[in-house]
Amino acid sequence: MNDLELFPYPKNRLQKTDLDLAASLQDLVQKEIVDKRLELKEDYQGLLRPNLDKLLVEVGLQRMFWPEDLGGEEHNGPEAAYTVAAALEQVGRADTGLAYLAAHNLALQAALAMRENLDREACARFAPLFCDGRGPMIVSFILPVFGEDEKAPAWRGKSFQVKARSASGGWVLEGKGIRPTCSGADATLFGAWCAVEGEEAPAFILVPGDAPGLSRGPEFKKTGLAASRNADLDLSGVEVPAENCLFRGDLEYRRLLSWFYLGITATTVGGLLAAYQILKEWGDNRVIKGTGNIFKENPLTGALMGEIAQDISMSRLLAYDLAGMLADPSSFGDAGSDMVYTSALMIVHQVLATAERALHRTMELMASAGYAKEWQLERYWRDLKTVQCYVGSHELAKHDFSRWFYGARTL
Amino acid sequence: MRGIDVFSRPLEYLTPLGEQVGEIIREWVEKEVIPYRRGFDEDYLEHRLIHPPFKKLLGEYGIQRILFPEDLGGWGLGHSEYLCVAAFRMFEEIARADSGMAVAFGVVFWPLVLICCEPHVNRRLCEEFAPMFMTNEPVFSCLAMTEPQGGSDIENVEVLKGSTIRTVAVRDGDEWVINGHKLWPTNTGGVADLMGVVCTTNPGSRNPEDIAIIFVPADAPGVTQGPAYEKAGMAADKNGDIWFENVRVPLWYRACGPGDDAKYYGEIVSMGNMGSIAFAVGVMLNIYEKLQEYVNRKTYRGMPLKENDAVAGVLADFATTIEAVRIIGYQCARMCDRQDLYGPRWSPEVVARARAHRYFAADRALEAIGKVMNLMECFGPDRDWDVEKHWRDIKMVQLWLGGKQLSQMEVARWFFECETL
Ligand SMILES: Cc1cc2nc3c(=O)[nH]c(=O)nc-3n(C[C@H](O)[C@H](O)[C@H](O)COP(=O)(O)OP(=O)(O)OC[C@H]3O[C@@H](n4cnc5c(N)ncnc54)[C@H](O)[C@@H]3O)c2cc1C
Ligand SMILES: Cc1cc2nc3c(=O)[nH]c(=O)nc-3n(C[C@H](O)[C@H](O)[C@H](O)COP(=O)(O)OP(=O)(O)OC[C@H]3O[C@@H](n4cnc5c(N)ncnc54)[C@H](O)[C@@H]3O)c2cc1C
Repeated sequence: MNDLELFPYPKNRLQKTDLDLAASLQDLVQKEIVDKRLELKEDYQGLLRPNLDKLLVEVGLQRMFWPEDLGGEEHNGPEAAYTVAAALEQVGRADTGLAYLAAHNLALQAALAMRENLDREACARFAPLFCDGRGPMIVSFILPVFGEDEKAPAWRGKSFQVKARSASGGWVLEGKGIRPTCSGADATLFGAWCAVEGEEAPAFILVPGDAPGLSRGPEFKKTGLAASRNADLDLSGVEVPAENCLFRGDLEYRRLLSWFYLGITATTVGGLLAAYQILKEWGDNRVIKGTGNIFKENPLTGALMGEIAQDISMSRLLAYDLAGMLADPSSFGDAGSDMVYTSALMIVHQVLATAERALHRTMELMASAGYAKEWQLERYWRDLKTVQCYVGSHELAKHDFSRWFYGARTL
Repeated sequence: MRGIDVFSRPLEYLTPLGEQVGEIIREWVEKEVIPYRRGFDEDYLEHRLIHPPFKKLLGEYGIQRILFPEDLGGWGLGHSEYLCVAAFRMFEEIARADSGMAVAFGVVFWPLVLICCEPHVNRRLCEEFAPMFMTNEPVFSCLAMTEPQGGSDIENVEVLKGSTIRTVAVRDGDEWVINGHKLWPTNTGGVADLMGVVCTTNPGSRNPEDIAIIFVPADAPGVTQGPAYEKAGMAADKNGDIWFENVRVPLWYRACGPGDDAKYYGEIVSMGNMGSIAFAVGVMLNIYEKLQEYVNRKTYRGMPLKENDAVAGVLADFATTIEAVRIIGYQCARMCDRQDLYGPRWSPEVVARARAHRYFAADRALEAIGKVMNLMECFGPDRDWDVEKHWRDIKMVQLWLGGKQLSQMEVARWFFECETL
C-alpha cells in the first residue's frame, strides 16, 4: 500500500481525474524533488524553479480553471476544490514553498474563472498570461497588514498597503514598503486589495510585475519557504487599466481567501505527510534503550509517533472537509459567505497550529537528526511556521470566529 | 520603554562577581555580537564573524580562565558557592545576543568542571591544562558523549550503565589507547582544543567503573575532526564528527577515576540543564525587546497594536513565561550551587530536578516564542527582526542532553521510583 493512503480522506468524492493527477504528481515530485532533496537542498535556482515551471506549465496547474477557448482546461466547477486539495498535498510534500506559490496561482484562477461567477472580460484579458505556455505565473497578493500610521485607511483594523485612485479610465496605485504574501522579488502578477480614494469600497486590482513605477527591494532572508523569494515593494504612480480591478466587494474578496486557505491547508498537509515519511524511516531503524529496541516499539516514543499520525490524519480530513464545503455551494453557501469563509479561516489556522505541534514533536523524536539539515525534516518545520505567520495572527482571526458564532459586532 | 531588567530574579542569590561580569558581557554583546549576528547563519562553516568576538571575551577578557585555581592563573570559581548563579547570568547575557554562542561559551567550561570543582579537584590535570587557557587567544573545550548509534543511551547512565558506549579506551602500560567515533559535540568541527571523551574500558559492560571520561588534546595524533554540520540554527556552535584512531594519552588524563567518572557525570548533566534554561531566558529577554518595538510601532484599529486586549493577552503570556522560567532557572542554579542544602549536584535527585526544570523551560519558551512569531505575522519569520533566529536556535535546547523523552523518564524515575524506565 502507498504509505500516503494510510491517512484516510474522502476518496469516494474525488473524481478519477483528481486521483490520476494526484498519482502522477506523487511520482513526479518523488523523482524530481524528494529524491534529490539531499543533493540540491533548498536551492531555488537549481531545484525549485525548474520544478515550478514543470508543475505550473507542463503539468498545467496554472491552466486549470480558465475556459477552454482561452487555452485553459475549464476545470472550473466548485468540485475543483478537491482537485486543488489533492494536487497541493502532493506538491507540499515535496516542497512547501512551491505549493504555497501554486496556492496563490490557483486561488486567483478560482476568483476569476469559477464557472458560477466567471468574469468573461477579465478571463479574456488574463488567461493568455497563464495559458500561453511561456512560463510560470508567479502570483502574489498584497493584503492589509498591521500598519505604522494610526490614521491610514484600514480594513478590519489592518492597514491597506496600497491606495488606488481612478483616473482617466484606469487606476493609479501608490504604496511604500509593501510586504506581499510571497515572491516580492520575482512575482509576475500581484493582486492587491486596495483602499480607494474617496470611496468606501476597496478594490482588488491586478498589477503586472513589470508595471512601470513598481520597484522591488532586495530579497530578504526569512525562516523558510525558499521558493518564495520575498522582497518589499514600492508602487509609485503605477497605472493599470480599469479592467485590472477584478472586484470591489467583500463577498468576492472572501471567496478568493477561502480558496487561498484551502490551498494553504492542503500545502500544510503535504508538509505533514513528508514529515511522516521521514519519521517512519527513523522509527523503523533507530534503536533506543540499548541493543535490539526499535524506536517505534518503545511505549513512550511509540505513543508520540501515534499522536503525530493522529494530528496528520485529522488535518488531512479537515482539508478535505474544507474542499467539500467549497465543492458544494448549494449545501454550504457561496465560498465568500460568512459561514464558509469563517470555516476556511478556522481550518487553515487549526491545521497550521496542529502542524506546528506535530513538527515540534517529530523534531523531538529525531533529536539531533531532526535538527540537522541532512535529514531534511527541519525545513518543513521552518516552512510551515513561515506559512503560519504569513496567514496572519491566529489571535486576531479568532475575532472573525466570534463575529460569526456569537454575533460580536465591534471586534 | 522598559528594559530587560524588569524581570524577576531572586536578588538574594546574586553575587557581586556574577553581576560585574554580567555587565561586562552585556556591553560586549551590544558592541561585538548584536551588530553582526544576522550574518551568523551563513558563517556556520568559517566562523569569520563569530571567532573575533570570542577572541575578545574568552581570550582578551580572560573569561576562559575562571574555573582554574587562582595559583594557576585562574579566578578560582571552581571553589565558589556562587559558580552556577554567576554562570546563569553570563549565559543569559550571551544568549540574549545568540544562544549558539552561549552554548559554545558554556561548553568551554563543561568538561573542566570535572577537574576544577570541589570536591573532586584533580590538581594534576588542572596543572596540566591550565597553561593552555592562560592566553589571549580563545581556547575551546568539548565534551564528546554522543555517538552515531545514539546520544540518549549514553546519557542514560542509571539504566544502561554505559553498556552502549562504543568508544573504547584500552590500557596499554601507562597510556590509554582510544578508538571510536563521536558525533555532535559542541565546539567540534575543528574548534575544540581540548576534549573530554566519554569512553568505555570494557565494551558492553554494565559496571559503572568501566565508564571513563578521558581528556584528549585535540592535536593528539589520531584525532580527526570533520567539518561543521549544517543545522536549523545555532550556527555559532560548530558540531561535527570526531574520529579517534589509536589515540594515546597518559593514564592520568582520566578525569576522576573508576566509579567516580560515572558518578560525577551526573554533575555534567545537572549543570548542562541549568545552562540550557539560561539560554532560553536570554533568548526570551531579547525577544521581549524586539516585541516591545513591534507592538509599539505597529498599529491596529487606529491604536498601537499593544492596546488591543486580545494582543495584550499574548503579550502578558509572554511576559509571564519569562517571569516563571527565569525564576525556575535561578532556582536551578542555586540548587546546583548550594549542595549543602540541596544535595550533591551529581545525585539522581538533583539531576532529575534539573532535567525537569530544563524541559519545562524549553517547552514553555518554544510555545511562547511561537506565539510571538505568529503575532508578528509576516515579520515573525523575517531575519531582520531577529525573533525567528532565536526560535530556530532555541529548539535545540529541548532536543539535546538526551532529548526530551529521556528527561521525562529520568524525572518519572526519581519522583515515582520507577525501576525499569
Ligand atoms: C547544537 C548541538 C549541540 C550538541 N552538543 C553536544 C555536546 O556538547 N556533546 C555531545 O555529546 N552531544 C551533543 N549534542 C548531541 C545531543 O546531545 C544528542 O543529539 C542528544 O543527546 C540525543 O541523542 P541522539 O540525537 O543521538 O538521539 P537518540 O539518542 O537516538 O534519541 C532520539 C530520541 O529518542 C527518544 N529517547 C531516547 N531515549 C529514550 C528513552 N530511554 N525513553 C524514551 N525515549 C527516548 C528521545 O525523544 C530522543 O530525542 C549536540 C547536538 C546539537 C544539535
Ligand atoms: C469560591 C469563590 C470564592 C470567592 N471569594 C470572593 C471573596 O472572598 N470576595 C469577593 O469579593 N469575591 C469573591 N469571589 C468572587 C470572584 O472574585 C469573582 O467572581 C471574580 O472577581 C470575577 O468577578 P465576576 O464573577 O463578577 O465576573 P466579571 O467581573 O463579570 O468577569 C467575567 C470574566 O470577564 C473577563 N474580564 C473581566 N474584565 C475584563 C477585562 N478588563 N478585559 C478582558 N476580560 C475581562 C474575565 O475573564 C472574567 O473572568 C469568589 C468566587 C468564588 C467562586
